[in-house]
Amino acid sequence: MDVDYHALLPEFILAGTVLLVLVVDVFLPERTKWFAMPLGLVGVVASLVAVATLIGAGTRVSFGGTYVVDEFALLFKGFFLVTAVVVLSVSLRYFREGGFYQGEYYFLLLTSFLGCVMMPSSRDLLLLFIALELVSAPGFLMAAFRKGDVKSNEAGVKFFIIGVLSTAVMLFGMSLIYGVTGGETQLAEIASALADVPGELQTLTYAAILFVVVGFAFKVSAFPFQFWAPDTYEGSPVPVAAFLAVASAVAGFAGLLQLMFVAFAEQHEFWVPIFAFLSVATMSVGNFVALRQTQMVRLLAYSGIAQSGYILMTFALVTDDAASNRTAFAAGVAYILIYGIMNLGAFAATVAVSRRHPALLIADFAGLRETAPVIAVGMAVFMISLAGVPPTGGFWGKLLIFQAAIERGGGLGPALAVVMLVNSVVSVFYYLLVPRQMFLREAADRSRLRVPALVTVVVGAATIALVGIFVLPNPVARLAEISSLVGLGP
Amino acid sequence: MTWENSAITIATLLPVVGAIVIALMPKSREREIRGMGIVVSGAALAIAIAIAIGFDYGTDGLQYELDLDWIGAIGVRYHVGIDGISLPLYVLTFLLTFLCAIYTWRFVPDPGRTRGFLALMLLLETGMAGTFIAFDLILFFVFWELVLVPMYFLIAIWGSANREYASIKFFLYTLFGSIFMLLGFLAMYFQGPDPHTFDMVALRDFGAGGGFSQTFQLVVFGAVALGFAVKVPMWPFHTWLPDAHTEAPTIGSVLLAGIMLKMGTYGFIRIAIPFLPYGAEKYAPWIGALAAIAIVYAALACLAQKDLKRLIAFSSVGHMGFVMLGIATLTEIGIQAAIFGMVAHGVITGMLFFCVGSIYDRYHTREIARIGGGMMQTMPKLGGVFAFVAIASLGLPGLAGFWGEIMALLSSFSPSEVFLADRVGLFRLYMVMGGIGTVLTAGYFLWMLQRVNMGTLPDQWRQAGLRDVLAVEWVSWLPLLALILVLGLYPRLVFGVTDDAVGGLMRLLGS
Amino acid sequence: MNVLAAEGEVAFKATTNGIWFVEHAWIVVLLPLVSAALILFLGSRTPGKGAVYGITAVGAAFVFSIGGLWHFVEGGGPFEGSIDWFTIGPLHLELGVLVDGLTAVMLVVVTAVSLAVHVYSLGYMHGDERFTWFYVVLSLFTAAMLTVVVSNNLIQLLVGWEVMGICSYLLIGHWWEVKENSDAAIKAFITTRVGDVPFMFGIIALIAVTGFTTTNIGEVSHELGLGEVSPLFVSVAALLLFGGTVGKSAQFPLHVWLPDAMAGPTPVSALIHAATMVAAGVYLIGRLFEVFLLADEWVLTVVSIVAAITALGAALLAIVQDDIKRVLAYSTLSQLAYMVAGLSLGELGLTAGFFHLFTHAFFKALLFLCAGSVIHAVHSNNMSEMGGLRKYMPITFWTMLIGSLALAGIIPLAGFWSKDELLVVAHEEHATWLFVVFLVTAVITAFYTMRMVMLTFFGEYEGEAHPHESPKTMTGPLIALAAATIGVGLLGAPQLNAVFGKWVFFEEIHEAVFVPWIAGLSTAGALLGLAAGYVLYRERKARDPLQAPMGPAWNLLQNRYYIDEFYMRAIVRPVRDTWSAGVNWFNQVVLDGIVDGAAVVTRWVAQLVAWFDRTVIDGAVNGAGEVAGRTGNALRYLQSGNVQWYAVGLFVGVIALAVVFIRVV
Repeated sequence: MDVDYHALLPEFILAGTVLLVLVVDVFLPERTKWFAMPLGLVGVVASLVAVATLIGAGTRVSFGGTYVVDEFALLFKGFFLVTAVVVLSVSLRYFREGGFYQGEYYFLLLTSFLGCVMMPSSRDLLLLFIALELVSAPGFLMAAFRKGDVKSNEAGVKFFIIGVLSTAVMLFGMSLIYGVTGGETQLAEIASALADVPGELQTLTYAAILFVVVGFAFKVSAFPFQFWAPDTYEGSPVPVAAFLAVASAVAGFAGLLQLMFVAFAEQHEFWVPIFAFLSVATMSVGNFVALRQTQMVRLLAYSGIAQSGYILMTFALVTDDAASNRTAFAAGVAYILIYGIMNLGAFAATVAVSRRHPALLIADFAGLRETAPVIAVGMAVFMISLAGVPPTGGFWGKLLIFQAAIERGGGLGPALAVVMLVNSVVSVFYYLLVPRQMFLREAADRSRLRVPALVTVVVGAATIALVGIFVLPNPVARLAEISSLVGLGP
Repeated sequence: MTWENSAITIATLLPVVGAIVIALMPKSREREIRGMGIVVSGAALAIAIAIAIGFDYGTDGLQYELDLDWIGAIGVRYHVGIDGISLPLYVLTFLLTFLCAIYTWRFVPDPGRTRGFLALMLLLETGMAGTFIAFDLILFFVFWELVLVPMYFLIAIWGSANREYASIKFFLYTLFGSIFMLLGFLAMYFQGPDPHTFDMVALRDFGAGGGFSQTFQLVVFGAVALGFAVKVPMWPFHTWLPDAHTEAPTIGSVLLAGIMLKMGTYGFIRIAIPFLPYGAEKYAPWIGALAAIAIVYAALACLAQKDLKRLIAFSSVGHMGFVMLGIATLTEIGIQAAIFGMVAHGVITGMLFFCVGSIYDRYHTREIARIGGGMMQTMPKLGGVFAFVAIASLGLPGLAGFWGEIMALLSSFSPSEVFLADRVGLFRLYMVMGGIGTVLTAGYFLWMLQRVNMGTLPDQWRQAGLRDVLAVEWVSWLPLLALILVLGLYPRLVFGVTDDAVGGLMRLLGS
Repeated sequence: MNVLAAEGEVAFKATTNGIWFVEHAWIVVLLPLVSAALILFLGSRTPGKGAVYGITAVGAAFVFSIGGLWHFVEGGGPFEGSIDWFTIGPLHLELGVLVDGLTAVMLVVVTAVSLAVHVYSLGYMHGDERFTWFYVVLSLFTAAMLTVVVSNNLIQLLVGWEVMGICSYLLIGHWWEVKENSDAAIKAFITTRVGDVPFMFGIIALIAVTGFTTTNIGEVSHELGLGEVSPLFVSVAALLLFGGTVGKSAQFPLHVWLPDAMAGPTPVSALIHAATMVAAGVYLIGRLFEVFLLADEWVLTVVSIVAAITALGAALLAIVQDDIKRVLAYSTLSQLAYMVAGLSLGELGLTAGFFHLFTHAFFKALLFLCAGSVIHAVHSNNMSEMGGLRKYMPITFWTMLIGSLALAGIIPLAGFWSKDELLVVAHEEHATWLFVVFLVTAVITAFYTMRMVMLTFFGEYEGEAHPHESPKTMTGPLIALAAATIGVGLLGAPQLNAVFGKWVFFEEIHEAVFVPWIAGLSTAGALLGLAAGYVLYRERKARDPLQAPMGPAWNLLQNRYYIDEFYMRAIVRPVRDTWSAGVNWFNQVVLDGIVDGAAVVTRWVAQLVAWFDRTVIDGAVNGAGEVAGRTGNALRYLQSGNVQWYAVGLFVGVIALAVVFIRVV
């Protein structure tokens, strides 16, 4: 059993931090429990450094190929850890002033992130399952964290039930795979085993794949498993919503990418239509329902659903042609990264506003240009970016997917592209609602809004990042391109 | 980086830098902010003029060319250059923006917030200017879309009563069109020469050489043309324009009419026709039809307008109809007429919107009935300028408006033998409609002048203290007024620039 | 450079006095143009409010033109010269001058009348608040007219043509405070533009003949001469060009603007709406005569018919007018029709027609300026408020009498010779019916002229004002023009070997002949008309003596044959009020409705999807949520029935997906 400890260092550090936070929390007096946050932050940063040391170190394989650290994995690990930094940063004041169980919160949050970090390296069904659960389980608790708040409870319960059930379905699917492939759990082996399953097992295989997909569809809140998202986001603390919308969803995609592009690659004729359906339905439901939202977090939730739809589209573009698959894969990954940045920014801005307007209606953003100029400008950029309009990174995200779709060609590609562009035009309408409030309306209370420094930093960083990506998209485009996962097609 | 290959980049990006600087200036330093706006746009204009001076007018090739790798991963390059087709529009962009900046020295529309106002204006300038020099489809598209956000905010924040409806309508409508255009671009990328490229020169040569299949051309031309048509705007995609114009602040209207509309017509000349000649051939009669309809339709609509600004906005639809008619003929004369028409319309209609803006500033209404005539009695200078520009706009020979129209009609008398030999009768019908349009145009402009300028001043304005043209207005107007006259008497100023470039284009298309 | 240029060279060699003037004819155009600019920018700051610039410039131009004419008096040939203007694709445009006899004569006419009017206006417009502006436009107009006259190419001609139009618009509406005036101005511009559109198309057609290479008139004629173009094409082109004439020269059916144009200051009426601009339409035919000759027969027939209708119709209208300027306006219409009809008679007619243009310019300008002088004195246009003025303003009376007799065609005054020549040509060309029309019109003309003179100068003064002779600045030009009116006719008198015909001719010179019986006939007609006028209007009556006998015809004439009203009802109002409103409605309700409709539909879809999302997908869970909400206790929740219900839902969903997609494969 070969173990590459250097490759596992990030996970180890993070796990250590988790335990440390848990223990320290016990000894900290209530007033100083917030100390768990800087502690966790240090751990995350350390783990991030560890990831950095692995860049360019080639592909590291552990546990007999079940746990792989390659560029793909590093890319996502880095992404998750940065996300962790952001979420932690926006959490501090929110939780101190909200009077939550801070210690537990940071423990749970970091645990979830541990799951996230494991996800992109897991090349084995069981590991994927564990990682996924590690992400979800703490999520259930965090979602219900606003004790006594009806909404929060509903959110947690609903999230929990659906999570469990879909996980069950997924697990069932995995077991079927296990059976069909004659006891394979490693993705690579599964791929080769599925290549020559006897005909009578075909249907069973497809069923299995479908069930597995369902499990992840829930995580990425794809239609028809999306409905938990709005309530859950609205119900849970805003930083948690940020976590769910970004980290947990992206983790789902990380897993899905591996399964689809590695394990079930050969069966794409079967699952491409599924993903086509999922993406179209998801983005349409997300966008159209978002049109009717008046509450900021719900709006972001539906927007997130729509964005998931766009990302899912890249799966629907898979064909036998390796080149076009590579484009699709690259587009997907790039979009995920940009999506992460704009969403984190949006949630951070929302956190800033939540201190004055807990209800977080869109109308509460009125006159923000006056009460918090930096946040306002940032939020405007995030919204424009989510809408996919220059001068922001979101533009490239959409463009890459369009390009992939057109390159895929063959009817389906362009058709999906058209659906997506109609959707994005529709989406502009509700994305513009927010800047309209911030810049065209006057606030009732025109006094300066006190924004936590960390939040401002996050918003500023995200804004600069998005504009920077617009000017120099090369890095993003490259990052996606070099990730070595795609072994697809002849 | 030499002057030769960096000049246009500097001129184009300078405004963005200026925008950032202005955004960072302290709000209290009002005068400095306005001054900075003038300085930045002035500097950009100076560079643009230097470019025009250094331009070699004897050739149809690209000049000041710069071709850098931008996004290697998807084959997008930063390829900019300028030729006889771009140059007039490019310089006009900087001129108009500069004059707008001067105008802003005195007139900042409610609710003030000069910093944002000027910053957005400069951002807009970059977007517009960039569109005319981009020679990579994606780069073109980026600049093209770049104008959306600033213009949206200019209308939505500094606009008048119904600004929110107008701004969102403008944004969604144009975005809708342009996204189809983007799909067309991507399609050309993948169907284009091997290795795939977004380079407009390469694609032009490929497409002009009949590289694209006929069905492909029909589909893609439709997609691309839709994007351009909305921007122009061609009838019946024009309904966003009157609202946008009416609600926009003065300089918003000036830049919208002066430059932004030209991006659409420019797109037809630069991309749609040379890349997809077969598509152009098949669509031209329809484009011509829409153009002819637009001319008459807009003129009639103008007769019904009660709001001065809305009237001018509709007149734009008609004038752009002449431009599109010229393009639709696919002849050298027609396309040159179109370019001249663009420049002339930019100068004249831009100036008309300045006038309307200043009239509104005096009367605080744009309703013709409320103004009630007699403006010449209290403000002879403003009235005179207004009359002069209106007369130029109705296409009086000897003034700028004439050449675009007459040459468009001339070219539609016998459209391209190569492409439209069997459509002569149809295009002569368009010519006749255009002729009728000129009569109606004269009608509504003179009627407008009668109701605004002539007659006696209503009593409620006698004590209103209406002030005639101010110094700052003279400064920002005189260049345009002079251009209207000079272009009319010495059209070579534009034709001399475009002749070789358009000629080259035509040779490329084999006619 | 082209055919005519070659001749130009020849002319250049045979040096005659005045050739210098001919070669530098462009200066004639430039002078008033410069003065217009000077007046505009310096006028208000110079003593005399800038009129001096205009008068000097036009005076110089006049001298220049005389010099130019001298070249042809000495039998010099035509000259053409040009400079490049610009090139657009294949089409090469030039700025050039083409000076032949016709041009030279027109130059003299224009500058002479213009000079007279410039001087006259010193008095007439004295104290006008827009005096300076008036002179700006006056000079600009002169420059434009001269541009038309000297142009050697179609586009340059069109430029001058339209600029004249706008100047006319500005001057008619000079007193724009009064709505009638601005209405008249707009009417004039739009009506002429209706004619200009076909004219423009005609020009385009001619340019097309050269394959869009040049707009030079000589080369166009040359191309046509090659006979490669189908006669039908040429005919249509000619007809389109004639549209321009109909508009500018106010021929039926576009004549309606000219009478209203009298709303402008009288000097303007004299210069623009009597002597020069309206004559441009006639000049146009002369300039492009080849086109009309190469066209099929029927084109010239159409032209002559239009002219005949106008000549008679307008003359009849002049009978019933009370406004002295309108009498002259309708008389102008009918006299212009004479010229057009003359040209429609072919090569002989060209000379005759232009001779009439030449003479008419002088006596009609004279008549208008006299009328102006009268109006200036009595502050009214209505002859019913005049009468007996010969006592108060003798100079005006005598000069106007001369003008009137000239108009009536009394030997040896200008009008006689030109009308006579027209009659002769009509006779020689066997256009009997035109001959009759000319003759009848001549009688009527004499009649209404006499009526005008009687009502204005004889009998007792009826008005309130205190009439007085006008200042020298006004009477001076009157005398000058009166002298011209007496003199210029002789230039065409066959007895004095009709020198005019040596200058203005098409291809070769035709000797003008004197046919005694025709001369006698026309004189008799004229005398008859004058006599009738004298008898009827010797003593003033409250009602016009013709009103009763004419009965309904009187009303018909009073209402201008209801043509104006017809245009108003059938075209102007529908377009301006009805159609435009319709289009606007279509735009706002239909087109914009579609756009807004898209938004509405989207909202509906959103509603539908949201409902679906809430109730169908999510419905089950909400129940669960409420339970949980009520108790805040997960255990209790798990025992509630909702979970199975929901689980079933989810599994059914999954199965459904499975069935659908696995079956698909």
